[in-house]
Amino acid sequence: QDSRCGLTGAGYRGILCSLPGEKKEFLQNGPDLQDFVSGDLSDKSRWAEYKGNLKREKGERLHLPPWLKTKIPMGKNYNKLKNTLRSLNLHTVCEEARCPNIGECWGGGEYATATATIMLMGDTCTRGCRFCSVKTARSPPPLDPQEPHNTARAVAQWGLDYVVLTSVDRDDLPDGGAEHFAKTVLHLKERNPKILVECLTPDFRGDLKAVEKVALSGLDVYAHNVETVPALQRKVRDPRANFEQSIRVLKHAKEVQPGVISKTSLMLGLGETDEQIYATMKLLREADVDCLTLGQYMQPTKRHLKVEEYITPEKFKYWEKVGNDLGFHYTASGPLVRSSYKAGEFFLKNLVEKRKTKAI
Amino acid sequence: HAHFCSEDKITVHFINRDGDKLTAKGKPGDSLLDVVVDNNLDIDGFGACEGTLACSTCHLIFEDHIFEKLDAITDEEMDMLDLAYGLTETSRLGCQICLKKSMNDMTVRVPETVADARQSVDMSKNS
Repeated sequence: QDSRCGLTGAGYRGILCSLPGEKKEFLQNGPDLQDFVSGDLSDKSRWAEYKGNLKREKGERLHLPPWLKTKIPMGKNYNKLKNTLRSLNLHTVCEEARCPNIGECWGGGEYATATATIMLMGDTCTRGCRFCSVKTARSPPPLDPQEPHNTARAVAQWGLDYVVLTSVDRDDLPDGGAEHFAKTVLHLKERNPKILVECLTPDFRGDLKAVEKVALSGLDVYAHNVETVPALQRKVRDPRANFEQSIRVLKHAKEVQPGVISKTSLMLGLGETDEQIYATMKLLREADVDCLTLGQYMQPTKRHLKVEEYITPEKFKYWEKVGNDLGFHYTASGPLVRSSYKAGEFFLKNLVEKRKTKAI
Repeated sequence: HAHFCSEDKITVHFINRDGDKLTAKGKPGDSLLDVVVDNNLDIDGFGACEGTLACSTCHLIFEDHIFEKLDAITDEEMDMLDLAYGLTETSRLGCQICLKKSMNDMTVRVPETVADARQSVDMSKNS
């Protein structure tokens, strides 16, 4: 039904029936809604022609450039994954934070190549950061003690070989949920010793004992996001988070578990300068962070920060080169790249295997 | 929607970070966060935690005579307000302040963020 033009389903069908034959054929063979909303990402030559404004002026709201338009997720694999998660009462950050890649990651080929980032400890966070649309509450519901077990079971059902575990902030819990995290990794590795596990953790309010607990749980990659350059930390993140604290988390994980790979993420487009980005990347490399991902910030709701700038795909490629030159093991950089975007996982899988064989 | 005649509405003026004045109306009992959201006011990153006292992004500065008459602050609000940048003697969190008739025509100020302050320092250095 389209209430705007006053047609009900029946009325619309009636109109269709009364069309001449050739018009009917035109309508049936022509573009449908799916074509319009798909955004035609494959036509990359068009991106350079895009004449829209990329840097926000006062009072303006930028329009989405073509390279950020994605297909609406649908299809068997996507639905299959969604049902598995629902039946086991699990949450994904993919859904909660409205990730634009959800169609791509979840729908990818057979189950084995599909990737999802599981969100542990519920869908409600104790902080309200200005870039994040995950639900917030002072006292979220208590932890589900079955979650570590259910997560391991779900992952085993999927046959995934690389899984990312992340969580909300749980400042209401004494250990910030570190024990719960660690248990999940343990169960996962018990069910499948070959599985590669990445944990994207909160800062645990700087509690290094909590960081240690997760770092020693048997995981392969320890990730924690600095989110933005130091100058914008206060504007973008909750005041309980800060750059130094996040660096300490990343450093400590490696100190207590030297074999682990560390990883962090930056959002671009929040008003940072090129100098600030470069300086931040250097600081991260100096802290021996192994892998870096860079992606475009996208405003999730009207209560969140506006996008200050849409960085072009070419500029993202430039930062990738900078990252590689600075010596990161891997720099995943692109408008739609997120901390756990699938491309990085494939590479990291190789990297971790490489390290394991080296160590032998 | 129920129909409210304009006499029931309370007018609030918001002085935005860049100095712009935004005027909006709300019903008695609406929080100032409700007013901002319902009127789609252009205040960047306001109300990130949706009024659950888990952030300080709805920090507002009130006129003295209005501030004195506000309901007492709770510990929970104080915890979050303490973390706000640019705290003043008449600061409160907008999500906790509900409109009363006596607030009609009041003016509230949206405080600067750290980034704003840094920018104005940089600009004065260059001039």
